[in-house]
Amino acid sequence: MKGRTIVITSGKGGVGKTTATANLGSALAMRGHRVVVIDTDIGLRNLDVIMGLENRIVYDLVNVVEGKCRLRQAMIQDKHKLELYLIPAAQTREKDSVSPEQLKAVCAELEEEYDYILIDCPAGIEQGFKNAVAAAGEAVIVTTPEVSAIRDADRVIGLLEASGLHRPKLVINRISAEMVKRGDMMGQGDVEALLAVEVIGLVPADERTVSAANRGIPVVHDDRSSAGGAFTRIAARIDGEEVPLQEIEPRPGMFNRLRDMVGMKGRAYSHA
Amino acid sequence: MRELMRWLFGLAGGNNETSSEVARNRMRLVLIQDRIDLSPEKMEQMKREIWEVVSRYMVVDEEFKEFEVRRLDELVMLVSNIEVKDLSALMSARAT
Repeated sequence: MKGRTIVITSGKGGVGKTTATANLGSALAMRGHRVVVIDTDIGLRNLDVIMGLENRIVYDLVNVVEGKCRLRQAMIQDKHKLELYLIPAAQTREKDSVSPEQLKAVCAELEEEYDYILIDCPAGIEQGFKNAVAAAGEAVIVTTPEVSAIRDADRVIGLLEASGLHRPKLVINRISAEMVKRGDMMGQGDVEALLAVEVIGLVPADERTVSAANRGIPVVHDDRSSAGGAFTRIAARIDGEEVPLQEIEPRPGMFNRLRDMVGMKGRAYSHA
Repeated sequence: MRELMRWLFGLAGGNNETSSEVARNRMRLVLIQDRIDLSPEKMEQMKREIWEVVSRYMVVDEEFKEFEVRRLDELVMLVSNIEVKDLSALMSARAT
């Protein structure tokens, strides 16, 4: 069976593409799949740091496409000995050192042997984005419930459609249930209605994601992390399992507990 | 406490928009403009012209009930709904 190549993209930077790639890759591998994650952000690589593999890099994606090494030599195995491999981006090369055809060829070769190839796409809609999109058969869009991220996500959805990548799936990252409830953050329903694409996951804002990144261990390895749980469920959905979306609940504060006790309901907000 | 206040005002039917409601309404307009690459002025002009054409044939409401560019999977559609006020005008238009 041939593997699936999925691009993780967003348009805007800093919304959690790299974190999503590392976590979905890890979670898919934890489900027993053979997975390769590729950092295509030439010149600004970060997937290696998020996965804690920065000290093991010898060869990178540009070396592969230039024929300086074999594909296998540039693949770094995950720390947890999962069937998960990283192909890092080159850090000191130009953005256009890789062409869409070259990345496509790399992914086609990997699809023969691996179940999932996840492409961590650079921010923006330039060369790196075009490379990533050309090589992928499916797309996952990461956004946050903020106006700038949503606007850029909408642009990217349009560009994906234009290049034949239909029905992208949406991950809404860093949702704060407290803020949604207060009316200070758009909820799932709002974002879904604006972007008109299927939501495949809701990831709560979780401090443990930050400490996991500090340690270079994807947060899906942290059983106590709500964000980790969310990524695990997204991976299951990508894998074809029917997992209902979970509403992101505010941590029970004093006022909420009090209100629940007397049976009052706050204003309705998004459901997961 | 602020939450309680807001909740009480919400009960009283206050029309204080929350920031997420403001964001949603702003994004609705911004995304339309981005999608069709048309300035708000041009959009208004198109709306007016469509209304003029339609009202040549039937009596319709002054305002569109709905006028937006929407995406449905790979299709992008201009969806506009306008209330017909007088059906007889519609019938006679058809007869000619």
